[in-house]
Amino acid sequence: MKKTSQICQSKLPDNTALKQQQLPAYRLQLSATGVLSGFFATGAFCLGVGIILILSAKSIKEIEIKYTKICANCAELREDAINFDKECTCSIPFYLSETMQGNVYLYYKLYGFYQNLYRYILSRSNSQLVGTDLKDVGNCAPFSKSHNGTPIAPCGAIANSIFNDTIILSYNLNSSIHMEVPMLRSGITWWTDKYVKFRNPSAINLSSAFTGTAKPPYWSKPVYELDLEDTENNGFLNDDFIVWMRTAAFPTFKKLYRRLNRVQYFIEGLPAGNYSFNITYNFPVTRFKGEKSVVLSTLTWSGGSSLFLGLAYTVTGAVTWLAAFSMMAIHLMLKEKRTLFIER
Amino acid sequence: MSSILCAVNTCKLFYVLYDRSVSFINNLRGGEKDNCIHTSKYNILTFLPINLFEQFQRVANAYFLFLLILQLIPEISSLTWFTTMVPLVLVITMTAVKDATDDYFRHKSDNQVNNRLSEVLIDSKLQNEKWMNVKVGDIVKLENNQFVAADLLLLSSSEPHGLCYIETAELDGETNLKVRHALSVTSELGADISRLAKFDGTVVCEAPNNKLDKFTGVLSWKDSKHSLNNEKIILRGCILRNTSWCFGMVIFAGPDTKLMQNSGKTKFKRTSIDRLMNTLVLWIFGFLVCMGIILAIGNSIWENQVGDQFRTFLFWNEGEKNSVFSGFLTFWSYIIILNTVVPISLYVSMEVIRLGHSYFINWDRKMYYPEKATPAEARTTTLNEELGQIEYIFSDKTGTLTENIMTFKKCSINGKIYGEADDDMGQKTDMTKKNKPVDFAVNPQADRTCEFSDHRLMESIKLGDSKVYEFLRVLALCHTVMSEENSAGQLIYQVQSPDEGALVTAARNLGFIFKSRTSETITIEELGTLVTYQLLAFLDFNNIRKRMSVIVRNPEGQIKLYSKGADTILFEKLHPSNEDLLTLTTDHLSEFAGEGLRTLAIAYRDLDDKYFKEWHKMLEDANALIDERDERVAGLYEEIERDLMLLGATAVEDKLQEGVIETVTNLSLANIKIWVLTGDKQETAINIGYACNMLTDDMNDVFIISGNTAVEVREELRKAKENLFEQNRSFSNGHVVFEKQQLELDSVVEETITGDYALIINGHSLTVYDQWFITLFNIVYTSLPVLAMGIFDQDVDDQNSMDYPQLYEPGQLNLLFNKRKFFICMAHGIYTSLALFFIPYGAFYNVAGDDGQHVADYQSFAVTMATSLVIVVSVQIALDTSYWTVINHVFIWGSVATYFSILFTMHSNGIFGIFPNQFPFVGNARHSLAQKCIWLVILLTTVASVMPVVAFRFLKVDLCPALSDQIRRRQKAQKKAKPSRSRRPQTRRSSSRRSGYAFAHQEGYGELITSGKNMRAKNPPPTPGLEKTLYNSTSWIENLCKKTTDTVSSFSLDKTVKL
Repeated sequence: MKKTSQICQSKLPDNTALKQQQLPAYRLQLSATGVLSGFFATGAFCLGVGIILILSAKSIKEIEIKYTKICANCAELREDAINFDKECTCSIPFYLSETMQGNVYLYYKLYGFYQNLYRYILSRSNSQLVGTDLKDVGNCAPFSKSHNGTPIAPCGAIANSIFNDTIILSYNLNSSIHMEVPMLRSGITWWTDKYVKFRNPSAINLSSAFTGTAKPPYWSKPVYELDLEDTENNGFLNDDFIVWMRTAAFPTFKKLYRRLNRVQYFIEGLPAGNYSFNITYNFPVTRFKGEKSVVLSTLTWSGGSSLFLGLAYTVTGAVTWLAAFSMMAIHLMLKEKRTLFIER
Repeated sequence: MSSILCAVNTCKLFYVLYDRSVSFINNLRGGEKDNCIHTSKYNILTFLPINLFEQFQRVANAYFLFLLILQLIPEISSLTWFTTMVPLVLVITMTAVKDATDDYFRHKSDNQVNNRLSEVLIDSKLQNEKWMNVKVGDIVKLENNQFVAADLLLLSSSEPHGLCYIETAELDGETNLKVRHALSVTSELGADISRLAKFDGTVVCEAPNNKLDKFTGVLSWKDSKHSLNNEKIILRGCILRNTSWCFGMVIFAGPDTKLMQNSGKTKFKRTSIDRLMNTLVLWIFGFLVCMGIILAIGNSIWENQVGDQFRTFLFWNEGEKNSVFSGFLTFWSYIIILNTVVPISLYVSMEVIRLGHSYFINWDRKMYYPEKATPAEARTTTLNEELGQIEYIFSDKTGTLTENIMTFKKCSINGKIYGEADDDMGQKTDMTKKNKPVDFAVNPQADRTCEFSDHRLMESIKLGDSKVYEFLRVLALCHTVMSEENSAGQLIYQVQSPDEGALVTAARNLGFIFKSRTSETITIEELGTLVTYQLLAFLDFNNIRKRMSVIVRNPEGQIKLYSKGADTILFEKLHPSNEDLLTLTTDHLSEFAGEGLRTLAIAYRDLDDKYFKEWHKMLEDANALIDERDERVAGLYEEIERDLMLLGATAVEDKLQEGVIETVTNLSLANIKIWVLTGDKQETAINIGYACNMLTDDMNDVFIISGNTAVEVREELRKAKENLFEQNRSFSNGHVVFEKQQLELDSVVEETITGDYALIINGHSLTVYDQWFITLFNIVYTSLPVLAMGIFDQDVDDQNSMDYPQLYEPGQLNLLFNKRKFFICMAHGIYTSLALFFIPYGAFYNVAGDDGQHVADYQSFAVTMATSLVIVVSVQIALDTSYWTVINHVFIWGSVATYFSILFTMHSNGIFGIFPNQFPFVGNARHSLAQKCIWLVILLTTVASVMPVVAFRFLKVDLCPALSDQIRRRQKAQKKAKPSRSRRPQTRRSSSRRSGYAFAHQEGYGELITSGKNMRAKNPPPTPGLEKTLYNSTSWIENLCKKTTDTVSSFSLDKTVKL
C-alpha cells in the first residue's frame, strides 16, 4: 500500500507554479478610463512636441542656392567627359538679409543622385578603406580594376563618383574688400568613420603605400594627393572623401561640407551682408538630370530638423485627441444604454 | 524449411502457403518470415539521407533551399547566403534532433518487444525463444494472461473443445472476453508435445492484411481439408484469459501480423490551423510574387527613365543594359529580399508552442487521475490546438461513460416497489457483491453493505410470500450464469452479461442462491435448503425475442416456465387476468426508467406435463430440421411463452463513471455534439443517454443509428444527417481537459497572428536593411516573446473557463483565427510597415544631426527603422499578452535588451576590425542613437503604429464584447470578493414515460448451456473424443461466435490500433 502511494506520488506532476500554469501574473486589462486617459495624455504629449518642433524648425535660418542653372556654362562643359581637364569656376553672389546666429554649417546638396542604389551601395571595399588589404576589390564592380588590371584604390562606384566641386564662401564687407569666410574642415565626419572605419595603409610615405594601385577613373589625382598639406586629411582619411562614402538614404540629400570658424567678424555667426560662393565646378549633374545646390544653415536643439517631424507630431497628436473624444463619446453612449437596459 | 508459395487463383486472391510438415522434419526453422518488428524509421547510417530527404519534402524547407540556390547566383543575389542558411540549418537541425530522439525511443520499444520470450516447440521440446526469432510455422505455447506473439492458428487449449478466451483490448479497445475455438481435429492434440511436434498440416490462407475481424483459409491435414475462419485465429496483441494454456501455429509473423498491418502507416495529422496556414502561406507567396512583379516592372520603368542616365556612375555589363532584363533579375532579387514575408519560421514556432502545450497538459495536476496514478499524456503534439475546436466527440459507452458495473437497485414484485429507501446510501457502496457471504439472508449485518436492502422485502421473504419466492426463483433460475467454487470455497459466478450477474447476485443475497448447473439440472439453495430443478428447455435470448425463458421441473414435479425480458414484449404475452397488476407494474417501470435504470419484466407460467411433452417433441423435430430450423424453433418458443403470469420487474443501474453527468452537461453547453458508439442494444444506448443527461426530454429529434455493417451504418447516417443527433461522453476526468483547450486555443491563435504580422512588417522594411538584421530578426528579436505569449497566455482563468463552457464556441466556429482575421492582420501589418517607412522617410528628408553632421545616410535610416520595428513589435506583443508572467516579462524585455546588445555588438569597432566587409555598420548605433531627432522619430513611429490598434481593440470590447472579455471583466471584479467555487447543480432528469428496457445480453449462450459444452468436466484431463457428441455440435459454437462478433464489429473497423 505504501509502495503504491509512493508510485502515485512519483507520477503526480510537480506542484510548481510554472508547471501548473499558476505563475503570478498581471492581467493586462484595457479599462475605459485607462485607455482614454492614455489617449489624452499621448495626444497632449504629441501636440506639445509637435509645436516645439515646428517652432524650433522655424527658428532655423537656412539659405539654399541651386547653382546648376546659374553656372550653366560650366554645367554644359561637364556634360562631356572629354573636357575633364578644363577648369571651370563660377561665382554666385547673394545677399544675406539677416545675421545667421551661432554655428553655421555649409552643405552641398544633390538632387536626383541615387546614392541609395543597391548596386551602388555595395560597390566599395571596407577592408581596403580600413587600410588592411589594398588589393581587396572584391565587391567593387564595375570599378574594381583599371584597364591594365591594377586594383583601383579607393575602388568602387561610390568612391569613383565623389563630389569634387570646391566651394569657397567669400564675404563682401564692402565693394572693395572681399574676404574669404573662415571655414573648418574638421568635425564634419563621424568620429568612428575618421578613426575606425577609414585608415591609411601603414607606410612611411603615403604615395609609396599606394603603389601598385590605380586611381579611380573619374578622379583627376590619386588618393594620396587629396591634401598634400595635411597628412591627417590625405589618402583615405580625407574628410570630404569620408563624408561622401557615407551613402545617403534618398536620391536627394545634403552632405556637410564645411563649418563656420567663428573668429573675427564671424564670432556671432554669419553677419548680414553681401556674400558670394566661388565654386570650382567639377561634378557633372546634368548627365543624370540632377541638380546641385549649396546650403548654409544653422541648427537647433534637435539638429537641422525639417518641418516634417513637427507637423507629423502635431497631426498625430490631433488625431489621437480626436480619436479619444470620439471613443469617449461612444463609450458614454453605450454606458447609458447599458444602465437603461439594466433599469428596465 | 517452410516455404511460402504465392499463387493467383481466378478470383485474384493471393494465397500464401505455409508448409509446416517440411519445416519440422528437416529441423530447419523458416528463414523468410520471422517475427521481428521494426517501427523505427532510421538506423545510424540511413538517418541523415532519409531524414534530410523527408525534411526537404516539406514545402517550407524546400522553399528555403530554393532561396539558397537563388542566392548563389551572383546576378540575382541580393542578400548573402547566410541569411537563408542560418535559419534553414537551425530548423533542419532542430527537426532532425527531434526525429532522432523519437526514433531512438522507437528502437528501444522495438527491442523490448522483440526480446519478449515465449515458449516455442523446437526439436520436439518446448523452449523459450525470443519473439523476434519466432518463425512462421512454429508451434507456440501460450499461458494464461500472456501476450500473443504472432497471429496464430489455435490448435488446442486447456479448455474443453479447444475453447479459449482472449482479450483484444490492444487491438480494438474492447475489454470483454472473446471466445476462440480450435478445430476439433486439432483440439484433440491437447498438450501432447510429441503429437504436436508431428503436426504436419498445411495452411492455405489469405495474404497478410489489416482486417482484424476477417480470416479465410484452409487447413489440410491427414488427407482432409478444414476451413478456417477468424474464430480459429488468435491475433498478435491479444491476451489469453481464463485459459491456462493453449497451442497455436504461427500463420503471420512480424510485419505480416494484422496488428502490424494496421500500424506503421501513420498518417501525419494536420490540424485545421495547419491547413489554414498552408492556404495562407500560399496566398502570401502569391502576394510575394505579385510584389516581386510590381517591383520588377517599377524597376524596369525606373531603369528606362532614370537609371539609364545614371549609367555614368554605375556601368552595366553588356547583357544588363536591357531594362526588361534588369527587371527580370530584380524580380528574383526581390523574391529573395522579401522572402521573410512568407512566415516559414512560423511553422517552427507552432511546433515549439505545441510542444510547450503538451508539456502543460502532461504537467497538469488537475488532469491527474489519482486512482490509477496516471497523469494526462499528450501522445502527439500535432493536434493540441485542435482540442479547442472540437465539435463532435465520438465516445465508447462501456468503460467510458459507464463503469460496466451493474447493480440491482429496485424491483417491483406483485405491485409493490422495493428498494426505494436506500437510494442515497446505495450509491456510496462499491463493494462487489460476489464477495458477500453466501448466507446473506440469515446474516442481517450484511444488509449495510448490500445496495439493495429493503427491509420490507426481507419481511416478505420471512413471511413466505409465494409471489416473492417465485420472483426470486426466476432470478436464480432463468439466466446463463455459470458458477464455480474458488480455492477458498467461495461461490464465484461467471457472468456473460453483467445485467444477469446483478440479478443472480441479488437473488443470492436475498436467499435464493444459484449453486450449480449441469446441462440438465440447476441447483439452487432456497433459504437454506438445496433444491435441484430439472432443466427441461432453455429458450434463449435473441435480439428479436428480447426475452429469455427456462422450463424447469421442480422437485414436486410441476413444470414451470420462468421468463424475463423486455416489458413491451413480455406484457403482450400475459394472461388477461394480469390486467390490474400490469397497470401497477407499468407505472413502476416508468418510474424506474425515469431514473435511468435498466428494467426487465419477470413472469412465469405453469405448464402441464402433457402439453409440455407434446411441445418438446415438436421442438426436437424442429431442431432436427435443416431448412427453416430457426423459424420453426422461434415459432415454438412463441407458442409456449404465452398466458404468462406477471410477477414484477427489476431495475438495474448501469453505473456511470464519476463526473460523467457534469462533463456531459458542460460539453453540451459548450456546443459539442456527442456521439456514442456502442455494440449495445438501442434501448441500452438510449437509456445511458438519458442517464448521463445527454438526451433530455425536450429533444425532439433523437436519432439512434444502428447497423451491423459499415454500409448499413453509413446508410443510416445519411438518413439522420439533416437532423439532430444523440449522445454522450467523458472519461473519468474529462472535464478538466476542456478548460485547458480554451487557453491553448487562444494563445496559439494569437501567436499566429502576431507572428504573421511581425513578419509582414519585417518584409516590408527589410529592403533597406542590414543583412544580419534580416538573419536574426525572426530568430532572436521577436520570436521568444511570441513563443512565451503563445505558451503562457491565458485569456480567462481555469475556474471561469469551467464555469462558462460557452467560451468554447468561438473556437468551434473558428472565430479566433480565420481568413477574415488574417486579412485584418494583413491590413494592420501593411499599415504598420507604411508607418515604419514613411515617418522616418519624411523625417530624414533634409535633416541634419545636432552636430550639423549628416544623419540621413542609409545606415542610420536602417538603424532607425529597425529599432522602431523592434519597439513597435514588442509593444504590440505586450498589448496582446493579457497574462503577464515572469517569463513574459523576461522574454519581452529580454528581446528588446537583446536587440540593443546585438545592435551595439555588431556595430562595434572590434567586430569591424575582424570582419570589415561583413560588418560595415561600425559606429552607427552609437552615433544614430545619440541623436535626439532619431529618438523622436522612433517615438512617433511607435505611437502612430500602436494607437490605432489600441483604439480598435477598445472599441471592439466596448461595442461587441466577446464572452471572454465579459468574463475577464467579471473576473477582475470578482478578485476583490472572495472567489466562491460555483458548482452547477447536478441536475437529475425528471422522468418521462418511456421504457428503460435494456439488457446486455448475447444470443447463443443458452445453447451452450443446454449442450453442456462449457461445463468443465469434474475429472480432468478432458480426454479427446470421449465426450458425447450432440447433434450439430459445431454449429452452436459457430453461431455463438458469429453472433458475438456481429454486435461489436460494426465500429471496431474504424478503430485505431494502439501499439
